[in-house]
Amino acid sequence: MTVQLKGRPEVIQIQWIPKYTTLERAAHWIHTATFVPLAITGMILYFPFLEPLAQGEAGLFIRLVHRVAAVIFGLLPIVYFIFEPRRLLMNIREFLPNKEDLGWLKAAPAYYLLGRHEAMPPQGRFNAGEKMNGLVMIVAWAVFGITGVPMWFGKGVIPPEIFRWLVVFHDLAMIVSVCMFLVHLYLAVAHPLMWAGLVSMRFGVTSAEYAMVHHAKWYYGPKRAMEIWEAKKREAAHKGGH
Amino acid sequence: MNNRPSPKLAIHRREFLGLSALGLGISLVGARAAAAAPSVASPDNVAILYDPVKCVGCKACQMACKRWNKLPNESTDPLGIYESPRDLSAITWNIIKLRRTEVGWHFFNYQCMHCTDAACVEVCPTRALFHDPLGFVALDRQKCNGCGYCTQFCPYGVPHLQVANLLTGEAKSAKCTFCQDRLWSGIGGPSCAEVCPVGALVWGKRGDLLDRARARVAELQAQGLNARIYGENEAGGLRRLSILLGEPEEYGLPSVPKTPAFARAWQRIIQPLGNVAFGAALLGILGTFLFVRRKIRMEEVK
Ligand code: HEM
Ligand code: SF4
Repeated sequence: MTVQLKGRPEVIQIQWIPKYTTLERAAHWIHTATFVPLAITGMILYFPFLEPLAQGEAGLFIRLVHRVAAVIFGLLPIVYFIFEPRRLLMNIREFLPNKEDLGWLKAAPAYYLLGRHEAMPPQGRFNAGEKMNGLVMIVAWAVFGITGVPMWFGKGVIPPEIFRWLVVFHDLAMIVSVCMFLVHLYLAVAHPLMWAGLVSMRFGVTSAEYAMVHHAKWYYGPKRAMEIWEAKKREAAHKGGH
Repeated sequence: MNNRPSPKLAIHRREFLGLSALGLGISLVGARAAAAAPSVASPDNVAILYDPVKCVGCKACQMACKRWNKLPNESTDPLGIYESPRDLSAITWNIIKLRRTEVGWHFFNYQCMHCTDAACVEVCPTRALFHDPLGFVALDRQKCNGCGYCTQFCPYGVPHLQVANLLTGEAKSAKCTFCQDRLWSGIGGPSCAEVCPVGALVWGKRGDLLDRARARVAELQAQGLNARIYGENEAGGLRRLSILLGEPEEYGLPSVPKTPAFARAWQRIIQPLGNVAFGAALLGILGTFLFVRRKIRMEEVK
């Protein structure tokens, strides 16, 4: 594909490589479209200052919206698992944390705040932050389901001693996942280094050159990516010495 | 490319101050700091006193409650000996049960305790349950949205949901309201206490009733009974005071109601901490946004 940037004479060639399946992109956006109403309707019960919206008929309605959205939100990963089990397991495996993620953490301020690519050690198909987002959302999904279903049908069936903890854990899952969601939202729509994420989630592909810089371990493979990175560091140190 | 005058200072002072105020605001909004002090059981509050030694088990109170509050009949468990229905429900707000304590079988009346430290009021997201200035815990069914948290947090199992649809969650909470409409319109006291023919249930100012209860307990103790008052300090002080002839547990009542503290921890510690987390996240994001906007140019499409 070729692109012409505004105010620039030259035409640029972009090489696209696939990143997500159609189902994955659809699932991501349906997840978003249910998570946001779930968070809003849940927060109406949570925040005392939103009390007027929680009262009477309005409250009944927001609780109904919460339930309708919850059914879709809850079933979505199961549908994904039925149709693309290997992709799901592959993604989960890629989300699992490892020691190298500490390197991301150390370099994150320079990378995200100052835009210094070279400070960031090579990352996989998901960088450590994206991995964290994925894991938090998976765990939150499970906690919402495990606590939410008994909150729905369990009054008078399960002991109140247990019910009380369910509401508290439902709240905790909401607090953690909404914070994660806000950070994710900012990085996806407003952070200059992260422009490729939104493209991938919309069209399923990412630019090869972007992947080279930001997801080197995925593009080159872990070994080659490390070699390239070490070489670049040596070069920079050499230049800095003069 | 980037030729707009870019100030060296990454974030303007005004922006920074604005941001801080916003973050602080967000973290404080919703924290019920202002409502932190539970209401105090004043001697001037209205209250009910129940004396099981006087009670003859005629159930006039149970019937009067049904009649005044227009509550329908409930089908009876044929195996129920004397207790019918078996327990409080969405349509039975006052019930006489048989209890066996160290003095043998006797009657006991159950209804809302009208707690000072009321877990139901604490967890209610709509303020449908609230402390009436007269002292009782009132219920505004118009505001109730049927979430049912009160049914799960009340230490006495008092509120019950009248479920219209389990799937949609359409429901209304129901409980003894101290006959709030009678008190508000000045008709008189709660119908159960008004109707009791033997003075086992009486109503009046809480301070006066406590004096009466103390005198009565002394009297019963002089007869060799293990009598005590329940409700003087439990859950911050109940507006339904009882005389017990044994341990509270023998009546199915907790010696120390634990759910009010649980409800408070949830509403006033965990939730405000969550709000601090939201505030910190938003503040961090906005700060980062403003900083990065000046530091990093949009990466060109490659
Ligand atoms: C499997 C998905 C979910 C199910 C089955 C579920 C179910 C429920 C139920 C039954 C309630 C109680 C209110 C009622 O009875 O209507 C509730 C409350 C709530 N939900 Fe969910 N929910 C789910 C997902 C979510 C998500 C994704 C969020 C937020 C991001 C969320 C946030 C909340 C909040 C904040 C409350 C109010 C708790 C409070 O009163 O403090 N829920 N949910
Ligand atoms: S007894 Fe239960 S319903 Fe009555 S005020 Fe106390 S917590 Fe609320």
